[in-house]
Amino acid sequence: MKNKFTRRDFLKIGGAGLLTAAGTAALSSVNTNHNPGRNNHLIQTPAPMDHDGLPGTGDVDYERNGFNPSDILYDFDYGKVSTLPNGQTLREYEIVAVNKTFEIVPGIDFPAWSYNGRIPGPTIRATEGDRIRIRFINGSDHPHSMHFHGFHPATMDGVPGTGPGGMVNPAGEFYYEFDAEPFGLHLYHCHIFPLARHIAKGLYGTFIVDPKGGRPPVDREMVMVMSGFDIDFDDTNDFYAVNGIPFHYQNHPIQIKVGETVRIYLVNILEFDLLNSFHLHANFFHYYPTGTSLTPAEFTDTIIQGQAQRGILEFSYKYPGMYMFHAHVTEFAELGWNGMFEVLL
Amino acid sequence: MTTDQAPPATKNRIPFQTFILFLLPIILLAGVILLFLNTGGGLDLKSPAPIENLIIERYHLERGHIELHVQNTGPAELTISQVIINDAVMPFEVSPGASIPRLGKADIRVNYSWTAGEAYGVRIFTSNAIPFDVDIPVAFVTPKPEAKTFLSFTLIGLYVGVIPIFLGIFWLPALRTLGKQWMTFLMAVTIGLLLFLGLDTLVEAMDQAAGVASAYQGIGLIGIGAVATYMLLDMVGNSRSSDRSEISQRLSIAWRIATGIGIHNLGEGLAIGAAYNLGEISLGTFLVVGFIIQNITEGLGIISPILRDRPRLGQLAWLGLIGGGPAIIGAWIGGYAPSPFLAVLFLAVGTGAIFQVAVEIAKMVQRDAARQPMPGFVFSGVITGMLMLWITGVFIK
Repeated sequence: MKNKFTRRDFLKIGGAGLLTAAGTAALSSVNTNHNPGRNNHLIQTPAPMDHDGLPGTGDVDYERNGFNPSDILYDFDYGKVSTLPNGQTLREYEIVAVNKTFEIVPGIDFPAWSYNGRIPGPTIRATEGDRIRIRFINGSDHPHSMHFHGFHPATMDGVPGTGPGGMVNPAGEFYYEFDAEPFGLHLYHCHIFPLARHIAKGLYGTFIVDPKGGRPPVDREMVMVMSGFDIDFDDTNDFYAVNGIPFHYQNHPIQIKVGETVRIYLVNILEFDLLNSFHLHANFFHYYPTGTSLTPAEFTDTIIQGQAQRGILEFSYKYPGMYMFHAHVTEFAELGWNGMFEVLL
Repeated sequence: MTTDQAPPATKNRIPFQTFILFLLPIILLAGVILLFLNTGGGLDLKSPAPIENLIIERYHLERGHIELHVQNTGPAELTISQVIINDAVMPFEVSPGASIPRLGKADIRVNYSWTAGEAYGVRIFTSNAIPFDVDIPVAFVTPKPEAKTFLSFTLIGLYVGVIPIFLGIFWLPALRTLGKQWMTFLMAVTIGLLLFLGLDTLVEAMDQAAGVASAYQGIGLIGIGAVATYMLLDMVGNSRSSDRSEISQRLSIAWRIATGIGIHNLGEGLAIGAAYNLGEISLGTFLVVGFIIQNITEGLGIISPILRDRPRLGQLAWLGLIGGGPAIIGAWIGGYAPSPFLAVLFLAVGTGAIFQVAVEIAKMVQRDAARQPMPGFVFSGVITGMLMLWITGVFIK
């Protein structure tokens, strides 16, 4: 005992206490966005303990969250379509940045910033050469912007210093307008300083530009946005997710059919960690990095994506059953980035 | 002022008027509190973020699951929302409930197939996304109160407490042949031993105080325990000294040394039991031998005041048991139900008792020195005592 419980340990413990106190103090200065009423709602208790002792959580309150990852999977937003005098297709969108608290794991609310009250934001989908017009309204209490990946003029880049669209102040609005090009799988996110925080708080979404004439038809298309949640604001992710809610597709497997051709638009917008990955069990997929070519670059079962990297996966299952898909950065898997395909006959 | 001028009624009874005057501030206080509770007194007391504090008092490992005993030491109720073990979100159960009131306790149970000998990091998230961490440095099945572990803890206490003290007491016949000067020297050695042990006990108490919920003010507890024990023993000692022979006074001091050292050894047992429970020490032969060597000096200390007397064998046996036996009790408590609060209290009592006895022996040494001048004996004795523990301490640090 004496070799362990020394005075130095006492100082260490005291020091740790001070550090904790400092941490709490730091939290109090950061957490101003906590909804003061959040303690009053009935917290959904975690699921009863699974006797297998497998990692995971129960379900969150989807109704209160206002979105469900099972819906986001198939939710492609083609906008309000009309034709311009020059014959070009015009797609009009309205996107509002709002502060919103989401229950991301049972019992824990995350004071998020979101596009249209969901994480990820709407999946904007157009065909190469279409005109995109987005009315961006900032309904939040911080300045925000929309920065698209793709070709567009500097004034439409959504970066401070490039004009009024670079930083849209609270209650302000701006029309982002540009042609959708090049074809491929892209993304959009807020580009206001501090950047990592603005993204990690939830301001991101998918931007799909189909080639003229479209990609070869498949039976089923899905969008998956990989991200993380730093709930205690220490610039380290505490939970990882696909389409906003950790463990969602583990609790609610995605149903597909044997032989069905599946296309996944996979986007990585994970902050604080350098890499993310996707691994498909008992199968291989064709991989189209950034979706900018119609010829696959790889036939594999695992791919790595850095921050803002994305790509298209195509595959089909030969046999029925439950198949896992997850980050093969396996520590992410047990913190939420884990899902199941339920392949039916 | 003369007393006979005062009315007789006021001598023993508090008059009604004084009673009211005494009560007035209390009534006003109640009013102020009421006002504050209802209006907030104009202060905006809402904190921008929730402040929460959770102490993981101890953990309990059994095959296939981990149990955490936690206490909410924050200012308000908190709710346990997620448990993450080694970067994996684990389903869990909390009894009595996930919401823990202020100063309330709860048990968190997680099914987890841990591997013996490996390290685990557990993170608990409250509903306000505040994390609390506990490390399990070495995973192994937490000892349960059963015959086998009971025997082990008993043996631990026996080796580190009882046996060495009796070995020290066995010096009595040899030391009795010494001259008076050397007996006084030995008492000075005992003072040194006690001062060293007192400091050690105090530091140990402070160590433990760090694990006590802040609401219970561990350091304040040490002060109360130590000062109260010191003054109580002093009071008892003084009230008896007048009507007692010097021999019985010396024996009484031996009892008190035994008690002080006994409480010190209780603390030692507590710490060993608790550390053993956490897998933080392996009681190797070397460590046990070290404890025997160090604690043998404690036995010497107990008998030093009564060297010139003829204590009965039964008395010596009791002195040894009181001095060493508590190590066994400490090992049981520390091993099965470690409680920082109790540990602090015991150690504080031990600190007070040890310092009081040191002062008491110092008075005896002073008396001896007055009768027969012995330059250097006292100084070298005290320093020898302290050095003895410091040097033998090398074996167990």
